[in-house]
Amino acid sequence: MVKKLTFLSLFAAVSLMADSELDALKAQLQEQQKTTQKLLQKVTKLEKKQQQAQALQAKKAKEQEDASLDAAFAKDTSSSFSQTSYLPDIALILNMSAVGRNVKNSDYANFAIPGFIDAPVKPELPYNKERGFNLNYAEVAMHSMVDPYFEAFAIFHLHPAAFEIEEAYVTTTSLPAGLRVKAGKFKSAFGRINEKHQHSWHFDEQPIIYKALFGPDGISDPGLQVQWVAPTDTYIMAGIDAMQGSNTRSFGDTEINNLYVGYLKSSLDLTDNLSVLGGVSWAHGKTTEKKSSDVYGVDLTFRDQLGSYSALTWQSEYLQRNKDTNNTIVATQKQGGLYSELVYQYNNNYSAGVRYEKITKNDTDLSAYTNNGIDTSNLDKYTVMLQYKPFPFSRLRLEYSHDRTKVIAGQRKDVDTAMLTLNIAAGAHPAHAY
Amino acid sequence: MKKIFLTVLFVTSSLFAALNVDTTYSTLGAVAKKIGGDNVHVVVLGSSKYDPHFIVPKPSLLSKLRRADLLIINGGGLELGWLPPLIKSANNGKIRAGAPGFLDMSHFIKMIDKPASVSRAFGDIHAQGNPHYSSDPYKVLIMAKVIARKLEQLDPAHVTEYKNNLENFLSQWNGYLKNYDAKMAECKTKKVVQYHELYNYFLRRYDITNIGNIEPLPGIAPSSKHTLQLMNAMKANGVKKILQDVYHEKRTAKFIAAKTGATVAVIPHDVGSVKGSESLEGFYNMIAQRICK
Repeated sequence: MVKKLTFLSLFAAVSLMADSELDALKAQLQEQQKTTQKLLQKVTKLEKKQQQAQALQAKKAKEQEDASLDAAFAKDTSSSFSQTSYLPDIALILNMSAVGRNVKNSDYANFAIPGFIDAPVKPELPYNKERGFNLNYAEVAMHSMVDPYFEAFAIFHLHPAAFEIEEAYVTTTSLPAGLRVKAGKFKSAFGRINEKHQHSWHFDEQPIIYKALFGPDGISDPGLQVQWVAPTDTYIMAGIDAMQGSNTRSFGDTEINNLYVGYLKSSLDLTDNLSVLGGVSWAHGKTTEKKSSDVYGVDLTFRDQLGSYSALTWQSEYLQRNKDTNNTIVATQKQGGLYSELVYQYNNNYSAGVRYEKITKNDTDLSAYTNNGIDTSNLDKYTVMLQYKPFPFSRLRLEYSHDRTKVIAGQRKDVDTAMLTLNIAAGAHPAHAY
Repeated sequence: MKKIFLTVLFVTSSLFAALNVDTTYSTLGAVAKKIGGDNVHVVVLGSSKYDPHFIVPKPSLLSKLRRADLLIINGGGLELGWLPPLIKSANNGKIRAGAPGFLDMSHFIKMIDKPASVSRAFGDIHAQGNPHYSSDPYKVLIMAKVIARKLEQLDPAHVTEYKNNLENFLSQWNGYLKNYDAKMAECKTKKVVQYHELYNYFLRRYDITNIGNIEPLPGIAPSSKHTLQLMNAMKANGVKKILQDVYHEKRTAKFIAAKTGATVAVIPHDVGSVKGSESLEGFYNMIAQRICK
């Protein structure tokens, strides 16, 4: 560029001035050369500057790299194999109570329900047994994805003097055609509440018919479950649980997996707010006497959603057991009972409920009672409760029951129980059940 | 007879051909309808009349999830209290968390109000930030783009339709937003209180300051002490507008209004929460109208 300019001006000068004013031209040429030199100097200076800047940048980059290396070296390598992000979801559930009862603890521990829990068999009483204070359990519930195909659940019940695996199972997540398989130890989906844990019942006390037929844990066994949800507008679910059958109340022959439970459940939305859920269940197993025992169940739940936090729920269940025995008087026992409960949730803090229960069928050998002049009719129970939840994760419940199903110390005795229970769920978010 | 049979067969097969898209809430559902058009069948699981945290897990929702090809959730912890057990029991591997048919919209949204520390001692807070982003009309653009991308992925046969629907919708919505912003520029309301932090995304977008909440902590019912403090703060700041949602009790808001001279405005939190908010435009128009009135 500079050179070009010089030549151009030279040419211009020559053509204009000819050779008449040579000196002036020479002077001009010198001037031009000076300018060129100056410009060249400027260029080298700029080049140098650029080089310096590049060097500085490189130096900086190296320093930065060194620094980050230093930092990486300074980092604690003890966490290289840390897997905290794979930890399962963990929830802690505590359940405790203060109980008042009109029966002495020692007598209560030996109660009988005529035809169902008869001496010398003693009732199992894991919850709210003592008058005064009870810590019923600390439950640790864990859940985690195993891989893309399995999900694992474990619920450990820690009682003051016992550790119990309440449930521990895996379920499939990706089977086609609406199928799901569950394997491990779990609560059977028989009926409406068998699958639910004690702290998610509407009342703290277990319905008499469940307690009488299955005991406090319900049907809970090692086994395999297959459930299928139909691809229909209406909810239809069918399932089969193949289980070991360790529940001695109704079954108990565990020589091989002897218990099979089948059920069909369906639900309809009658209006936007009113829905109904119904189910039929059948459990077929073998008793310790190696005889056949069948339990049939029908359940029906209506729920009217009055607002986001307000609902009216009416839940009823009838269970009947037909059990073959060695008894010569009544070879096949036919016994059944029902409960029906109405729970009104006023807002997200308060709810209240009433429950009625009755043993409706008791065709069995009751001579041990009748011979001693003990009346075995009208076995029923009334319960009311008032519940306060300061927050979805904590619950205070005041419950009173008048129980007319018990024989205590050789005579019918109405048991009145009042209890205040506190249940908390800390940790992983518990989901709300229907 | 044959004709009828064939028609029935055709109708059912065309029904089966459509992609079943379930969304947890109605605003997501409305956007999915715009993008999916006739190629999708959209089902909204949670009614917009109820608290989105406490949707009742009705068994009928199971039969809806059972047949879904795509489940779009709001995310940010909003469905934590009701959706996980439903997904578990619906026995549909297509839509379990992590599967291609499961879409968490919160992953595409810049969440605000992220708590510095998380404890239930602060009430029902969400670790991921405020999940109520649907109140901001600009978020609709992101929803539309994300849903279009997902539908193209799941249903490659209709890619061009989804692309066209998206393009048309975006240009329409950008035009709507231009008008909307112009309207909001004239909004006189500059300070509000609200029941729950339900409208923060909207308020931040249009520079409206939230002075306080009626609930003392998220998910905790109002207390008299907190209500008094709130009324004092309202008087000190000259707040004249109380933003009330459709599902919480309205007594406290009315009480505060009577004592402070403020007015209570019931603001929809999702499409269809109140009458007249059944369309996307209607929904956002009503938010602006009721806050600014």
